[in-house]
Amino acid sequence: MARIGRRSFGALALAGAASGLSAPRIARGQGATIKFGFTAALTGPFNEFGEGIRRGAEIAVEEVNKAGGINGRRVELAEVLDDQLVPDRAVQNMRRILDNREIVGLMAPSGSGPTLAIVDMVQADGRPIINPQAQTPSIVYPNGADKPPRPNVFSISIDNTVEAAKLATALAGYRTVGILHESTGYGVTGAQLVRAELQAKRRDARLTVESYNQRAQDMTAQLVRVQRAGAEALLVIGLGADTAVIRRNMSRLNINIPLYGTAGAVTVPYIEGAGDLVVGTRAVNHAAFGRRPMHPAAQKFADLYRAKHGTDRWYGPDPANPFVSLAGTVASGYDCLNLLIDAVRRAGSTAPADIVKALNETRDFAGATIASITFTPQQHVALKVEDLGTYEMLKEGDRVVLKLRD
Amino acid sequence: MDDFFFSLVLAGISVGSVYALIAIGLNLTFWTTRTLNFGQGSLMMLCAMLVVFLASQGLAMALAVIGGLLVVAALGVFVERFTIRPALVASGGSMGWVVSTLGFGIVLQGVAAKYFGSQAMAFPDVLFTTQDYVTVLGQHLSLQYLVVLALSVSLILLLELFVRKTVWGQAVFAISLDPELALVQGMPVRLIILGSFVASSLLAGVAGILSAQIGGTVDPAFGFDLVLFGFVAAVLGGMGSSFGALVGGLAVGLISKLVGGYISTAAEHAIAFALLMAMLALRPQGLLGRPEVSKA
Repeated sequence: MARIGRRSFGALALAGAASGLSAPRIARGQGATIKFGFTAALTGPFNEFGEGIRRGAEIAVEEVNKAGGINGRRVELAEVLDDQLVPDRAVQNMRRILDNREIVGLMAPSGSGPTLAIVDMVQADGRPIINPQAQTPSIVYPNGADKPPRPNVFSISIDNTVEAAKLATALAGYRTVGILHESTGYGVTGAQLVRAELQAKRRDARLTVESYNQRAQDMTAQLVRVQRAGAEALLVIGLGADTAVIRRNMSRLNINIPLYGTAGAVTVPYIEGAGDLVVGTRAVNHAAFGRRPMHPAAQKFADLYRAKHGTDRWYGPDPANPFVSLAGTVASGYDCLNLLIDAVRRAGSTAPADIVKALNETRDFAGATIASITFTPQQHVALKVEDLGTYEMLKEGDRVVLKLRD
Repeated sequence: MDDFFFSLVLAGISVGSVYALIAIGLNLTFWTTRTLNFGQGSLMMLCAMLVVFLASQGLAMALAVIGGLLVVAALGVFVERFTIRPALVASGGSMGWVVSTLGFGIVLQGVAAKYFGSQAMAFPDVLFTTQDYVTVLGQHLSLQYLVVLALSVSLILLLELFVRKTVWGQAVFAISLDPELALVQGMPVRLIILGSFVASSLLAGVAGILSAQIGGTVDPAFGFDLVLFGFVAAVLGGMGSSFGALVGGLAVGLISKLVGGYISTAAEHAIAFALLMAMLALRPQGLLGRPEVSKA
C-alpha cells in the first residue's frame, strides 16, 4: 500500500482545500434552481389576465425542466404573488420579490396601473423584467418612443401605439368615429393614440371621445352623445365586461353602427355578457391564433395548453380553434418566461447585466404570441403591426368564432 | 320630442327607479331601528349571482328568482340578529352598526368570490331582451327599461299602501316614532324590526336582479356603487320618506343622465354626490322629509 508522506499529505490537503473552495461553487451552480418571480391579478375581477399568464409561465417552466433545465439547472417560479390588479398591492409584492436576491428575472404584472407602479423600482434594481400584457408605452419608453428605453425593461405585450396604428387602419373607412374609453391610463392613452393615428390617416376625420368608469352599469349618456355626433362606427377601448354593458346598451338604444374593440375588449366576459349581440363586432388582437395554419410555436403552445388544462375558459370549447385571446391572456406569460430562460442560457450566467445583455441580443426568437421576437438595445418592444389581426365575431352553430379579416 | 333628450330621460328614470328601490330598502330599517344596512349592495349582488347559478343548474327562471330572494330574505334575519342588534345593545346607540353592516357586505363578497368565482358572470334576460321594444310617438322604448321602471314604482307604491293602510304598516310607523311606547302598547316590536330587515333585503334582491339585467353581468363587487346612489337618493328625498325616496331616486337618475348627456360624461356620477352635499348643507331633512325632533 502506498504511503503518503507528510509533505505529500500537505500538498494533497492544499489541493483538496483549493478544490473544496471551488467544488461547492460548482455544486451550487449545478444544483441550485434558477428562480423567476412575478406579481399578477391571480384573483379578483380581472384574474382572466393574471391567472392566464401564471398558467403560461408554468407551462414554460415545466417544458424547460422536462428538457433538462438550463445547462443542467432546474427552473422554478419561486415568487408568484397576487395583486388583484391593485397598484399598491403590486408594489408591496414586487418589493418582496426584489428582496429575494435569488430571483434572477421577472415578469411584469397584468395591466398598466400595477406595471407603472412597479417599473421604477425594478429599473433601479436592475434585474430584467418582461411585460406580457400592459399596454401603456411609457412602461418601456418613459421619455417617449424616440428616446432610449428603460435598460432592463422589455415588452411583448400589445403596445397601445401599435394597436392604435392597426385600429386606425381598420377605422379609416369611416369619416365620423365615436371612441368610448375607460377612464384608466390604458383607456386614456389608447384614445389619444387612436385619435392621432386616425387624424394622420384621414385629415377630414371627425372624432367624438367619451370616457366611462370601469364597471358602470349604464352607458346611455356616452352612447347618445356619440349618436348625436353622427358617428358611423364606435370603438371601445376597455375590458370585456364593460364592452358587454356597452353592446347591450347600444341594442336598447337601437344604435346599429359597427362596433370595434381593442384586444382587451373582446375577451370571454364580452362574449358571455353580450351573448348573441357580439355578432358583427370587430376587434384587433394577436394574429397568432387566428391564422391557419398557426405558426409552429403558436400551435405547439395551443397543444401544450390543451393537454394540461383542456378546452377551458381560456382556451375555448373548440379543440381545433383556441380563442384568439389565448395569446394575450395566457401565451404571453409563456413567451416571457421562455425569453428569460433563453437569455440565461445564452448568457451562461444569472447576473442581471449578463441577462439584460443577452435579451438585447435576442434575434428572431420563435414566440407563441409573436412569431419572431427581436430586441436590440434601442428596441425593447417586440410587437409590430403585422403581428396583429382585425377579427370579426360570427356565430357558427351555437359558438361564437372570430374570423381573421385583415 | 328630441331623441337625444328622450333617451337620456328614459334611461335616467329607469336607473333612478332602481336607486329609489334601494333607498326604500334603506328607509325600511331606518324607520324601525334608525340604522342603515350598508351590506345592501352585497345582498343585491348575491341575489343576482344566485339567480345566475340556479338558472345554470336547470331551474326555471321564475324558480331561480324565488330561490335567490328566499336566500337574501334569510340573510336579512341574519343581518338584524348578528350585525345590528348586538351593535345597538353593545354601543348604546352609537355607530357600531355602520362597521358591522359594511363588514357583513365584505364577507358576503368574499363568500361569493369563493363559490362563484371573481369573474363577471353573464346575467340572463329575465323578462325581456335588450332587443325588445315598443314604439310610442315615434320613440324607441326599450322594454327592459320600462319593466325596471314599472316594477320599481309598483313595489314602492305597494309598500306605501301597506304602511298607510294596514295595521302592521301603522305599527311600523308607530315604531318609527317611538319604539319604547310601541313596546309598552304591546306591539311585537322585535318581530316588526325583523320583518323590516327581511323586507329591506328582499327589495335589495329585486334591485339586484333588475340592475343586473340592465348591465348584463354580475360579479362579487357588483352593487357597492348602486348602494351609494341609493343612499344619495334617500338623503335627497328625505330619510324615512317613501315618496321622498322615489323622488330622490328619479332625481338622481335623471340629473346624472342629463348632466352626462348635455355637459360631460365625466361629471355624470360626480353630480350625484354634489347634490348630496348641497342637500345636507341647505336642507338636511331632504326634499320631502321632516326635520328630526328629539325628545328632551
